[in-house]
Amino acid sequence: MHRVKVISGHLSSYPPQGGNRKCNINHCRARAAVSGPEDVVVVHGRRTAIGKAKRGLFKDTTPDELLSAVMKAVMTDMGLSPDRLGDVCVGNVLQPGAGAVMARIAHFLSEFPETVPVYTVNRQCSSGLQALFNIAGAIKSGSIDLGLACGVESMSLQEMGNPGDLSPRLVDFEKARACVVPMGITSENVAERFGISREKQDAFAVSSHQKADRAQRSGRFEAEIVPVVTKVTDAEGTECTVTVLKDEGVRPSTTLEGLGKLRAAFRPDGSTTAGNSSQVSDGAAALLLGRRSAVEALGLPVLGVLRASAVVGVPPDMMGIGPAYAIPAALEQAGLSVADIDVFEINEAFASQAVYCVEKLCLPLDRVNPNGGAIALGHPLGCTGARMTVTLLHELQRRGRRGYGVVSVCSLSDPRVCPLGVRCGLCLLSV
Amino acid sequence: MGVKVFRSPARHGYAVEGSPFIPTRLACAASQYYGIAGSGTLLVLEETESGIALVKSCEWSDGLFDVAWSETNENVLAAGGGDGSLQLWDSSSNHSAPLRVAREHTQEVYSVHWSQTRGENLLVSGSWDQTAKVWDPTLSKSLTTLKGHEGVIYSTVWSPHIPGCFASASGDGTLRVWDIKSAACRLAIPAHKSEILSCDWCKYDEHMVVTGAVDCSVCVWDLRNPRQPVCQPLVGHSYAIRRVKFSPFSRTVLASCSYDFSVRFWDYSSSQPLLETVEHHSEFVCGIDFSLHTPNQVLDCSWDETVKIYTPACLTAGTHTAGP
Repeated sequence: MHRVKVISGHLSSYPPQGGNRKCNINHCRARAAVSGPEDVVVVHGRRTAIGKAKRGLFKDTTPDELLSAVMKAVMTDMGLSPDRLGDVCVGNVLQPGAGAVMARIAHFLSEFPETVPVYTVNRQCSSGLQALFNIAGAIKSGSIDLGLACGVESMSLQEMGNPGDLSPRLVDFEKARACVVPMGITSENVAERFGISREKQDAFAVSSHQKADRAQRSGRFEAEIVPVVTKVTDAEGTECTVTVLKDEGVRPSTTLEGLGKLRAAFRPDGSTTAGNSSQVSDGAAALLLGRRSAVEALGLPVLGVLRASAVVGVPPDMMGIGPAYAIPAALEQAGLSVADIDVFEINEAFASQAVYCVEKLCLPLDRVNPNGGAIALGHPLGCTGARMTVTLLHELQRRGRRGYGVVSVCSLSDPRVCPLGVRCGLCLLSV
Repeated sequence: MGVKVFRSPARHGYAVEGSPFIPTRLACAASQYYGIAGSGTLLVLEETESGIALVKSCEWSDGLFDVAWSETNENVLAAGGGDGSLQLWDSSSNHSAPLRVAREHTQEVYSVHWSQTRGENLLVSGSWDQTAKVWDPTLSKSLTTLKGHEGVIYSTVWSPHIPGCFASASGDGTLRVWDIKSAACRLAIPAHKSEILSCDWCKYDEHMVVTGAVDCSVCVWDLRNPRQPVCQPLVGHSYAIRRVKFSPFSRTVLASCSYDFSVRFWDYSSSQPLLETVEHHSEFVCGIDFSLHTPNQVLDCSWDETVKIYTPACLTAGTHTAGP
């Protein structure tokens, strides 16, 4: 920058009378606040309510219906014809083949044309975020102008637990063995290794419920939740039609005392309980992304701008600590610091790892998951990354002024980080 | 009498000049993002009983780095832009567009000055493209282009006494004096070993010129004897001098403003030349001017988004004796 060089040249001389120089020229690594036509921007995002798996109102709803509801809603809200989409990427974990066929069915249930392609991605819990990165990457590389990034999971209809066909030799490799460690044990490992007490975990869980409850009651989720009409069969076998509008997992009556009574779920002497872990859930979310020039040419609004992204691998038996590494990496890339970020959405797979990440990075608690997290809201695996992004963008927009946000999800050996920001309704999404 | 302040949020002042016609009027060339990027605004301001009011603000698509009031029309001003353009503005019109735009310089125009010499009605501009240009008051086409500087030009100022003569200060470390009739450089003084950011003529003695430089010193020169300055360099500022101005009311009094956030007043004929240091800004002070109508009144502007009008104590002290 020529003018910067000229001015800094003026500051380099020492005065003839000598004296100490307090002047330092620090180069700000942040990319210019001015936007460019090549920016990858998020136009809009919506999600379904998150249902309690096996017991909630979505327990009999196939994932393609959930996915279709959000895909249609996003396009209808923007008045955009689906034939404008260059690609659709859907995050999913538990469906056979990560839901490749399911997604195509959802596509046609939404009456999208056959000319628009769709595929699925599985990066475990961060699949929804990975879908975002994939679509962003396709936009950046110029192969598409606009795309839909989605995530969906029905944990009512599919179980975790079948890792697939694995080589018996995995037992010979320490890290490979660690990959099949149950999630709950990874949480215990983190709690033990980093000294995160049961009390701290429970307090964090209470806070998640309280924040989610406040958000619900004040109507903060209204703009983002798509009402879904579906059928559910009750205990007697009667089928009825319901409209699902509310996240089911929130328990405002949760107390420290109440949580303290729960037994450890994964290890007899452990600290991870059902109360301070994320819930098993059903839900879907979708985000419309595009290159800024294409978005503006269509007269569409910009909700956020992607600024940076990072993915970091960590020991598989402690996968929950991923965000503590990935967040700094993404911030570095964006030229920002923790202090610049207004909202952090960190997935609460377990209170142990969420607390570890918050403490390790010294994140101000009032900026972390301000509307609650997976402990209160639930964690529909493939959906979560996209869901958190939708919630973050709506929150930043609600605040009405420029800001940055970060979305971070840990997953088995592969955390994802996604810093975001908002500027008068513009979202900066770092992925 | 306190300090009157005008705040221009998100606009950082680069130059300020009092109107030669209307005693309460002044103009400030200001830029967005400290002039590094973004747009510029020409602020036409009016001093009131209690403060400073906005008369008109003119937007330009690049930063504005200098302003000059017309010497013949009380509503007209010229401004120099970061895009190499010079614009002519009418402060009395409702139009948002300038009267005229001249795009000849190929780099930032850092200086623009309207001649005050009787009979003459010309503008001079100085640019980072290392040339100075002379213009008629309609800015239709430059009359002459003066080359010779080997560095960016920061300042071009007409002599108040000698027709067709102006001085320039440059990043090449020289103070040059030009004659436009012969389109030639009459004198090139290697005045500083660093970049010279500003120069000005004494209003009482046609041979005296002051320079302010990146080496943090202010030097006064007698053009008849240019080998050395007339006195010891005036030192005190701790960072580069952005602008220097001779007082219109005193032969030997001048002002300097600096990157060190301060404004200093000097009497170079005194054994203790520093009269006063005014530290009322929180950022680089880039613009300074003496009022022609109200003796001892000073106008300045800074990157801290303010323009200030005040009367320094040292100037009202009567006989300009050295201050504390």
